[in-house]
Amino acid sequence: MTDRSLHERIDEVVVGLASEAEVAEIEALCAADPDVASQLERARRRYVALDYTADNLPLPSDLWTRIEASLDSEQERQVEADTSAEIIPLTPRNTQGRWRAAAFGSAIAAAVLAVALGFSLAMAPEPTVIAVLLDSKGQPIAVVEGAENNQTLITLLENTRVPANSVMQVWTKPDENGPPVSLGLLAAARSRTLTATGLPPPRAEQLYEITFEPTGGSPTNLPTGPILGKGFAKEPVY
Amino acid sequence: MLGVARRMLRRADLAEDAVQDCFVLLWRKCSQFDARQGQAKAWIYTILRNRCLTLLRNGDREIALDEDKAEKASDEAILEVAYNRLERTNDLRICLETLDPNKRMAILSSYILGYSHGEIAGRMGAPLGSVKAWVRRGLLMLRECLA
Repeated sequence: MTDRSLHERIDEVVVGLASEAEVAEIEALCAADPDVASQLERARRRYVALDYTADNLPLPSDLWTRIEASLDSEQERQVEADTSAEIIPLTPRNTQGRWRAAAFGSAIAAAVLAVALGFSLAMAPEPTVIAVLLDSKGQPIAVVEGAENNQTLITLLENTRVPANSVMQVWTKPDENGPPVSLGLLAAARSRTLTATGLPPPRAEQLYEITFEPTGGSPTNLPTGPILGKGFAKEPVY
Repeated sequence: MLGVARRMLRRADLAEDAVQDCFVLLWRKCSQFDARQGQAKAWIYTILRNRCLTLLRNGDREIALDEDKAEKASDEAILEVAYNRLERTNDLRICLETLDPNKRMAILSSYILGYSHGEIAGRMGAPLGSVKAWVRRGLLMLRECLA
């Protein structure tokens, strides 16, 4: 089995097709090599969207009591093990537990809560601005929905013919008098969400524009190709 | 979280057990979580799904199958709901759309329902060799599509 690519073995672990021995082997590789660990992490992220599609069922009210009970019994077992080994702890036994509790209490607890409570909000932030992009004949060709964090959903309104060796590139002007900034590429001429970082939250009257650019995006990082459509953002009324 | 476990285990009581076990495991393993490396949510789901898989592989599958009728939803219905719930603009959905139905079904059955190669072959009425090939090629195509 060693001739199989590492990628394939990692994917099988992620989708749940690997044997327990195989999982243990990959975990050992991850512990030894951060590159493998980040490959596994990337593979997990590819599929995690499928977990979000499960029904959001409320946890039974006694679940926390049950969890507490099993944690308590686990700790008791640990205490017994310590006593049998006749090791006198140098620090009060509780300290470690408290540290673990504190560690658990921060990042993970937040994430557990987010998971437990469902995170449709985090998945699709409500748009704070919406722009309808029009072509040169005034026909609507795309709707742009921008969120506070500049996660931008582009919905194309017609099948666009992208010239050969070209891609669509989405631009915006966060500063009215500044240069356009790229939000990303629409390689497949399909609707999708783009995520840009380091930009101020979008505002009303902000310009959005889609241009055709050479494959890989504009070489100058400014729009160079023909404009497919453009429009100014409005704030939706909720 | 319960929804993910329920989908795999097909039984409310087993699903609750799995979520409970998952929380205990999170408590025990939290020191292993590397915030720089990973996304906490993906990590939590990994632990939960692994726990469900262990429950399934340890023989509880038989019990779960007996109860299938009580849970009503067929495999196809569960997979279809999951697939349709992926946003149209989600990269994974876009890439899954490019796979032929056999490959897509095989991969979704393993991720969502926790099926092994053999179980997928049994459910789809296909030779084991074909299922293994579909999965291998499907995973490769998704990897390239999502790169």
